[in-house]
Amino acid sequence: MIKVQALRKSFGANEVLKDINVTIKPQEVVVVIGPSGSGKSTFLRCINLLETITAGHILIEGKDITDKQTDINKIRAEVGMVFQHFNLFPHKTVLENIVLAPLKVKKVDKDQAREKALSLLKKVGLEEKANVYPDSLSGGQKQRVAIARALAMEPKIMLFDEPTSALDPEMVGEVLEVMKQLAREGMTMVVVTHEMGFAREVGDRVLFMDGGYIVEENIPKHLFESPQQERTKAFLSKVL
Amino acid sequence: MKKLAAILSSFMMVTMLAACGSEAGTEEKANGSATGSGGDEKKTIRVVTDAAYAPFEYLEGDKIVGFDVNFLNAAAKEAGYDVKLEHVGWDPLFVELKSKRAAAGISAITIDEERKQTYDFSSPYFLSINKILVPEGSDIKSADDLKGKVVAVQSGTTGQAAVEKLLGKNHKDIKKFENNNLAIMELINKGADAVVADNAVVEEYAKNNPKQKLKVVEDSDTFDAEFYGIMFPKGSELKADFDKAIAEILDNGTYEKIYKERFGTSPDIEKLKQAK
Amino acid sequence: MDFRFDIIMEYAPYLLKGTLITIGLSLAGIVIGTILGLFIGLGKMMRNKYLAFPFTVYITVFRGTPLLVQVLLIHFGVVPFFIGETHAVAATIIALSLNAAAYIAEIFRAGIASIDRGQMEGARSLGLSHVQSMRHIILPQAFKRMIPPLGNEFIVLIKDSSLASVIAAPELMYWGRAMSSQYFRTWEPYLTAAVIYLILTLLLSILLHSLERRLATE
Repeated sequence: MIKVQALRKSFGANEVLKDINVTIKPQEVVVVIGPSGSGKSTFLRCINLLETITAGHILIEGKDITDKQTDINKIRAEVGMVFQHFNLFPHKTVLENIVLAPLKVKKVDKDQAREKALSLLKKVGLEEKANVYPDSLSGGQKQRVAIARALAMEPKIMLFDEPTSALDPEMVGEVLEVMKQLAREGMTMVVVTHEMGFAREVGDRVLFMDGGYIVEENIPKHLFESPQQERTKAFLSKVL
Repeated sequence: MKKLAAILSSFMMVTMLAACGSEAGTEEKANGSATGSGGDEKKTIRVVTDAAYAPFEYLEGDKIVGFDVNFLNAAAKEAGYDVKLEHVGWDPLFVELKSKRAAAGISAITIDEERKQTYDFSSPYFLSINKILVPEGSDIKSADDLKGKVVAVQSGTTGQAAVEKLLGKNHKDIKKFENNNLAIMELINKGADAVVADNAVVEEYAKNNPKQKLKVVEDSDTFDAEFYGIMFPKGSELKADFDKAIAEILDNGTYEKIYKERFGTSPDIEKLKQAK
Repeated sequence: MDFRFDIIMEYAPYLLKGTLITIGLSLAGIVIGTILGLFIGLGKMMRNKYLAFPFTVYITVFRGTPLLVQVLLIHFGVVPFFIGETHAVAATIIALSLNAAAYIAEIFRAGIASIDRGQMEGARSLGLSHVQSMRHIILPQAFKRMIPPLGNEFIVLIKDSSLASVIAAPELMYWGRAMSSQYFRTWEPYLTAAVIYLILTLLLSILLHSLERRLATE
């Protein structure tokens, strides 16, 4: 589904990603953990080209997105992204936030887009909030709307960039619950997070990143209980 | 203590007296050589102008030059005054004289009845008549032909008044500019069909800018002759001195020399003398 | 002090006509300047430095030289060069538009730059193109923030239109000066003009305030 080959990314002289190689299979839930500054968010943002890639290739369903011929907007329409700070559009209502891309990018007709949006809102438990502006929502509600917005494009892959880091502790659960449900439904997901419990429970595979490399990867049980690398051990001893 | 003060003050008085004495002495000498009339005190008077009216008064760098400047210097020398000429602009010129902050104004000012009610004028020093500046090949042959044409003028001049008499006051075809330069530029750039202004202005321009292919149209039947005078505040004592001086330089050839240097032609001195 | 209302009455029709032309000049300047300013502002924000350079030069030149100089250059130079004769109203509209566009471009740029980067990323991540993201997400939000500085610019533009009197565009100030030079009066013409300008700028700020309030409650 996603194939990352020899990916490198530099910001000026600062090389943030150094030779990343990873393959993600359909319906797999991959959780990326690591200390801050390890490059895990940059890695995620490279997958839908929010960052320009310095070297290497990323193939999504066989299409090389780093190729200049590829229509990146088409790729992005199939790759949903959820941000740490939600990035909802404050001048649009919840419903308008959700129907915008289906209307403008997929050219879905209005009634259909609206129906779909309402069913997604129901799924995340916010159907009564359809006509309010994002400013009146709590952090957890905002993030659930953001997930619904990404799902409205019917993506094949969902990327989550620390979706619970900006939330008050009591709201983390409601967002994780929605993500778990998605995983159960078979969505292919790449999740950058500090929620080790979520990684252990939902993840099919965990990648530990540090210093721009994937240091270690394994199924959650093995990675958390018997890490092989010193750096993994050091990190886990701090967060667990 | 008292004694010391007395010595000091008398010392100061002596020094001051000595200083005064020597100053008076040199001033007398300067006066003597300048005017030849001996003991008269030579006064410096402040004269104001609007130095944006070539060839009468305009700026060359930061120096005010032009016919009016040459004439004023000659007349003032004859009358026994030193002149400090200052560029203040057209409207402020009238304000300065009204409030008597300036002793006189010279700026190609036409002597007319309305102005005479508020100010005094010297006897006329220049004969002027409005003329029409048009492109070569224009069908404007007389003032009457200006009807239906766009005419550029300097705001507040007799040229404007003359055109308004023909076309109507504040007529839409009259374009009023801050100065004649802008009005002539409007003509050159085909934004106007003619400029009406003092003969000296338009003739000087046509002569100095042959490339622009302009010609001057006269119409002394329609446009009245005007006379320029030095303007004084009402009741000024300077008027008598300057009238005498002007009569003198008209007679002794000084005026003719200045005029010829500037315009290359001879002035009509008789007409100037007849007018009052 | 004697205040001659009779000469104001005499000039009232001209001042009225002049006011209408002042309004027309200002409106044209605002509309054209805003459209032009948007494009120049976007041009200056282009990532390619070589493509953005001309826009930067434009803004620098028009903000760095006096409007009066621009008015004279355009009236006696640019307009005659293109149409073979002067046209005071056209020259004024061009000068006001080009000048305002430089300031408005900066207002746009600042307004757009003030929108959080996450908004663009959010829109792009959904598959919207750069242009679509600008149109639906960035500009509507930026526009709200631009209203106060744009309002200031429009008020400056109304006042600056008085410079057109120098090239004899028959606007409000032109008639004020005509009146002043006919009667050698200061207070009547200029105070009248000042009051009319004040009314125009006040009306505009009231209009912009209500627009701002309406957008804020939306």
